[in-house]
Amino acid sequence: MEQTIEQTKEYFYIALRNIRTRRLRSSLTVLGIVIGVFLIISLLSLSEGLKTTINQQLQAMGGEMVIVMPGGEEDILTSMMFGGAKLEKQDIEAIKKAKGVDKVLGYSYTGTIARYKDESKQIAMCGYDPWKEGLDILSIFQGWSLAEGRWPSKQNQILIGQYIANEIFSKKIKAGSEMVIKGKKFEVAGILNSLGSRQDDSMVYMDMKIYQDLTGEKRGTAAYAIVKLEQGADENAVKTEIEASLEKTRKRRAGTDVADFSVITSEKMGELVGTILGIIQIVIIGFASIAILVGGIGITNSMFTSVRERTKEIGIMKAIGAKNSAILSIFLIEAGIVGIFGGVGGLLLGSILAKAIDYYSQINPTFYFTTTISPWMIIFALIFSFSIGCLAGFFPARAAAKLKPVEALRRYE
Amino acid sequence: MEKPIIKLENVWKTYKLGKVDLNAIKGIDLEVFPGSFVTIMGASGSGKSTLLNIIGCLDTPTKGKVFLKNKDISMLSENQLSQLRGKTIGFIFQEFNLLPNLNALENVMLPMVFQGVPLEERKKRAKQLLISMHLGERIFHQPAELSGGERQRVAAARAFANNPELVIADEPTGNLDSTTGKKIMEVLTNFHKERGKTIIVVTHDPNIASYTEEIINIKDGEIIANHKQADKVLWNKQ
Repeated sequence: MEQTIEQTKEYFYIALRNIRTRRLRSSLTVLGIVIGVFLIISLLSLSEGLKTTINQQLQAMGGEMVIVMPGGEEDILTSMMFGGAKLEKQDIEAIKKAKGVDKVLGYSYTGTIARYKDESKQIAMCGYDPWKEGLDILSIFQGWSLAEGRWPSKQNQILIGQYIANEIFSKKIKAGSEMVIKGKKFEVAGILNSLGSRQDDSMVYMDMKIYQDLTGEKRGTAAYAIVKLEQGADENAVKTEIEASLEKTRKRRAGTDVADFSVITSEKMGELVGTILGIIQIVIIGFASIAILVGGIGITNSMFTSVRERTKEIGIMKAIGAKNSAILSIFLIEAGIVGIFGGVGGLLLGSILAKAIDYYSQINPTFYFTTTISPWMIIFALIFSFSIGCLAGFFPARAAAKLKPVEALRRYE
Repeated sequence: MEKPIIKLENVWKTYKLGKVDLNAIKGIDLEVFPGSFVTIMGASGSGKSTLLNIIGCLDTPTKGKVFLKNKDISMLSENQLSQLRGKTIGFIFQEFNLLPNLNALENVMLPMVFQGVPLEERKKRAKQLLISMHLGERIFHQPAELSGGERQRVAAARAFANNPELVIADEPTGNLDSTTGKKIMEVLTNFHKERGKTIIVVTHDPNIASYTEEIINIKDGEIIANHKQADKVLWNKQ
């Protein structure tokens, strides 16, 4: 006879009763799983958050754009993080000459100190070349728009991001106010609407010439070049063109210390980030799995004790007609419930941590991070913890089911 | 002739105690017929509990054959045996052996759960049984909240739950005083008389044995046949 749903319900009830009677031990076992799931959830939500953050940056970069940066493709992350080699004037000219290229926008940025009304803060400043034309491109293709003020037209005027205006300094910055960067006075001509990522909103934007005056960098160079493609041009085709063109100029300059360069399409960027995040996630899952494994061993251990403690009950149940499958079910359900409880607990703790990080990031401008808890993660955590519970409970449950009724009854007599 | 409900053929049970083999039961032949009320009597260590376990299909013999309703139990799978045992045999133990986490009603319902009796039916039958044992006020009590006599009556109700053909009681009054013990024996007698069911009681107490119709004396793992009968094992007390 097959086990009916009603019987299963009854076994569930018995299992629940068993858990309740051994409250302390059950909760300790649950705690083991809670920690495991908590680790998984918090780590995954952090890495999901990392992904979201990076994707925001990528989105801000926009389609129909290609980025050229010095350094080989394998060093992209290094050059993105630490800067380093620069694109020379000839390089930028070469990019402009390539087929399919509409506009080239040189772009450099660095961290610096800015002063606003006696308050000095660390900010990032960024120069664009050409400045006027660049602003047109950025407003048309990247959706830049002013929240306040007007576009800069004079040499001492700058633009600032939403976040700088409202959050970084204790006093809000209004369009037209004065700001001091590296000892030079500037007028904040306009304040941009949010650009979609915290990093972009925390920048001061200016003409590359001013930027280079401030930093002392060589005229005509840029850290990256943002390339706007001609209408309908294929990303990959233009990439090849740019590479060929750059190759040619670089050969002409042979003998000088020529660094590598890379042309990155938005597609390529996405891939790259995907790979890195993939590795991070694998490492995270690896660590978390160890935690879960330990939790699972905890369940197994607790279930073995439970079977031992209840040997006599198992004997009684068998004597009054319980099949092996019934005993197996009861103990598996018990382990499964412990697993699920652990899963829910871990989920709660993990979510709390994630929310805490979000909150911290909101009140602390230099720490930019969002966390994400997706429904997928919740389902995964619950199914995972339930399965771990069942898996861990399987051997003890089978041991219980296999007990001979008479031996089980005789125990502890 | 009516077929025996349980039949033992040359049954041996040997326990290994270190290097020594201990024969708890030595070649017992036994038939119990439907509708009989039998006592197995013997001193402690006589092998009567071992015999009872084998009769109740809780244990398997080392040698020999056991037939439950004409089925050789060694031919049944463990699951089939559990099923058959649950349906055919009800157990009452000296220690009551109620499940401590379940209340009286749930304890009585449990054997029916294993037989797949629907919930409503289960509840109805269990309630009726408990009421008939004068435990109507106690159905939602946990075993720990019941007296010994009450617990044993719950256990009896549980044993009767699937309306088994055979009820096996192992020293049912062993942990009770004589008054409550008497009540239990009356419950058993009624079940036997009203429904015509077979009951096997194991005891060392002659007073208990006096309720029953047949007495099997066992000593050192063998049935002492002091009164000749057709099969040489049963000894009628009249």
